[in-house]
Amino acid sequence: MKVQQSAFIAQARPLLLKLRDALCGAFEYASILAEDTVGRSYRVSRHSVSVGEGDNMRGFVVKALDGGRYGEYSFTELTEDSIPGVVDAVRDLLAAPARPENLGANAYAPPAEDPAVFSGATDYEQDPADFSDGEILDRLAALRDSGLAMDGAVLDFIAQMTWQKYTKLFLSREKDMTQSVMYMDGAVAAAAAKGQEVKQAYLPCSGLGGMELMERMEANAAPCVRTVLDLLDSEPMIPGTYECICDPETTGMIVHEAFGHGVEMDMFVKDRAQAPQFVGKYVASPLVTMHDGAASAKQTATYFFDDEGTPAHDTIVIDKGVLRTGISDLQSALALGTEPTGNGRRESFARKAYTRMTNTWFEPGHDKLEDMIASVKYGMFLQCPSSGMEDPKNWGIQCMVNIAREIKDGQLTGRIFSPVVLTGYVPDLLKSITAMSDGAELSGSGFCGKGHKEWVKVSDGGPYIKATIRLG
Amino acid sequence: MEKILSALRALGVEQYIITEKHTDSLQSFYVKKNMDLIRRADTTLRSVQVFRPFEKDGTEMLGDTEVTLRPGMSDGEIRAALERAWFAAQFVANPWYPLPGGVKQPPRRDRGGFAGRSLAESMKTMTAVLFAADTSRQVFLNSAEIFMRRAETRIVTSMGADVGWEQYDVWGEYVCQCPAPRDVETYHQFSYRDPETEALTGAAAHALEMTKARAMAQAAPRTGTYALVLDREQMRTLLGYYVDRSGSGMIYQKYSPFQLGDDVQGQDIAGDRLSIALTATEPYTGFGAPMADRPLLEDGVLRTIHGGARFAHYLGVEPTGRYRAVSVPAGDTPLAELTGSACLHVASFSDFQMDALSGHFGGEIRLGFLHENGAVTPVTGGSVNGSILDCQGRMTFSRERYRSADYDGPLAVRIEGVQVAGS
Repeated sequence: MKVQQSAFIAQARPLLLKLRDALCGAFEYASILAEDTVGRSYRVSRHSVSVGEGDNMRGFVVKALDGGRYGEYSFTELTEDSIPGVVDAVRDLLAAPARPENLGANAYAPPAEDPAVFSGATDYEQDPADFSDGEILDRLAALRDSGLAMDGAVLDFIAQMTWQKYTKLFLSREKDMTQSVMYMDGAVAAAAAKGQEVKQAYLPCSGLGGMELMERMEANAAPCVRTVLDLLDSEPMIPGTYECICDPETTGMIVHEAFGHGVEMDMFVKDRAQAPQFVGKYVASPLVTMHDGAASAKQTATYFFDDEGTPAHDTIVIDKGVLRTGISDLQSALALGTEPTGNGRRESFARKAYTRMTNTWFEPGHDKLEDMIASVKYGMFLQCPSSGMEDPKNWGIQCMVNIAREIKDGQLTGRIFSPVVLTGYVPDLLKSITAMSDGAELSGSGFCGKGHKEWVKVSDGGPYIKATIRLG
Repeated sequence: MEKILSALRALGVEQYIITEKHTDSLQSFYVKKNMDLIRRADTTLRSVQVFRPFEKDGTEMLGDTEVTLRPGMSDGEIRAALERAWFAAQFVANPWYPLPGGVKQPPRRDRGGFAGRSLAESMKTMTAVLFAADTSRQVFLNSAEIFMRRAETRIVTSMGADVGWEQYDVWGEYVCQCPAPRDVETYHQFSYRDPETEALTGAAAHALEMTKARAMAQAAPRTGTYALVLDREQMRTLLGYYVDRSGSGMIYQKYSPFQLGDDVQGQDIAGDRLSIALTATEPYTGFGAPMADRPLLEDGVLRTIHGGARFAHYLGVEPTGRYRAVSVPAGDTPLAELTGSACLHVASFSDFQMDALSGHFGGEIRLGFLHENGAVTPVTGGSVNGSILDCQGRMTFSRERYRSADYDGPLAVRIEGVQVAGS
């Protein structure tokens, strides 16, 4: 079934068309993005139950160009009477932009737009809105109870899920586009105490669609408990450089943090990335082909057009080890004289659009995981990444990983190290990849920030990879 | 507000919190010394939390759900949203707890330095003082984002609260770049509730100096165990361990072993004893009760368990509201003395993290200064991986102070015996 369009957006459309006409009459270029998001989040733990709404938002953002300068106005209330006020607010902003006299302003041309009329929606099997809160909480409580019952050492077991459904309408002189998308993500987490330390294991699952994903969450309960019990015997990491096998989630974190941020082309505009100097050159092992794009996979960052009205792409960023191109929002493309790639995304209507990743992943290879482990003389099997941070200018990488399992003579020994800080120089790490497994998995349970803010839903992943990595 | 109250009455909801927040913000984006985009956001958000008492298996429960009333909702949509929240609350089976009362007060105006000035005027001022430090061609501001904000919040509860307040603040981020001898950048954030012009210019000047140093840094420190010196924003992150672990939710759910009166810093203290105060950054709690500064730790002993109403009741402590900011007395040791013997002073991490559950802290080193044998060498790369449980007895705090929106305390701390992975 297709996700239904928001009734609010459908009702607001005639007013928005009037606003578009007023803006297009007043400015060289103008666009409107209207957003209506609904959703619900559920969380059950040993001592607590909660139901919330996630980030339910409804509002509008106008982008306008006048005298070569771009300005934006975000607002939440729109009536027939307020249309002239919106036009005036944008005009005032562009006329007096609160800039000290000794600083200048960048000049832009209007974007070249091809006419586009579009309406699309993603698919789902079971709409979570058709289930009562009681039914969903009962199912999560049963999952929690099963997790708690698995071992007396389990201090807590958490089951949580969130679904979000949004409709976005983009209008400009040439474009009239609507999309409705639904995704769900969930996770189970287990905690166990080791002295004053509390160890935690977390297994997420996510995807486009609805309640059908719940079964995957339920299958994760036992592995999650096993992992936290393993962590009780973990040791501090012994710093060093190791041959590593990364699970698909850790691969995803490396893809995203190590390389993805470095090819966001708003960083090129600011001279904040090394990537432009490496286009057409080897930056990774020839085994590596990397994609980004809302159209490159069906996951939580899938959509039909971005927040600037550019259709979704499947961009091949690295092709057999060679850097081909970056990913771009509209304004960066205008600055660079390139084509936008459908990566202009906003945290919400109230925030700026930046170049942002979507579904970012490595293509699978041809190796078998068991052969990859067997090939390691001494090394680590890395699992459960928790966070990462980019450094596009200097191509440094930081990933925090929860588990490193020791491999000796091709066998997992049962020895575990935790937590682990993975660092290095990105091209060194990517060029060290010598094997990739024959299947790829994407995970979209997390959010990505730009620096330390501007959170948007992303997914990332790939196959198991074998690489040489510094761990501390 | 009257529409919401009327809908709540019609549903028979007796306990509720209505929160309304109107925010007007001006947002400037610069690439080098040129404005790239100017934005204004004028938004209103309303949320309602409903509480529903019920009985389950012979136990009194109090369920709650929060609903966002999105702008443009019709009366019918508001009623339907509240009805759904009221329905959902009966399944949120948390043991009963009393809801705190609040106060009725006229709205409080912000009396700080931004009040009475337009957002545009304040934006110009703060932009000018940020760029005032940008005077060199060798090292400069690569880009900056500045957010000037005025927010008005109102809380009305069924427990008698009706309060409101105005708050101005400025926050943002900037990136410094030094192209030679190695083209590098550093990333920085700022946040102030008053026009702290000298502080922002000073912070930017310090950031530019650090970027110059990063351009000189060639290699990672050797792998080993170091005396580690952390400073500035890392201080709030590090001490967040004590704030998080003393939260009522963490303690009740046994994620934290802290108890009132416990010496949570431990008995074996070779360094400084730690005192921390929780600082109220908003005048009222989410229930509309006045918030006050509170002692958290005194000489390492836990004095306050903080948090909302539910877990506070379960633990038998007073609900305090939620705190973000802390103040810490300065130490006795000058910074020069902290770095006067062999140590690794990490001035910048990729993303310094403290995991309050495990006590582990760490991150990738973007810029450090290795002090050994009387020489100071800038280093970059490698990572710190320490545990506060292992080293909290060996922390020495600087005499110099540092202040940001969420922290007022020693500029730096020296921690003995921390593991570093490097070359």
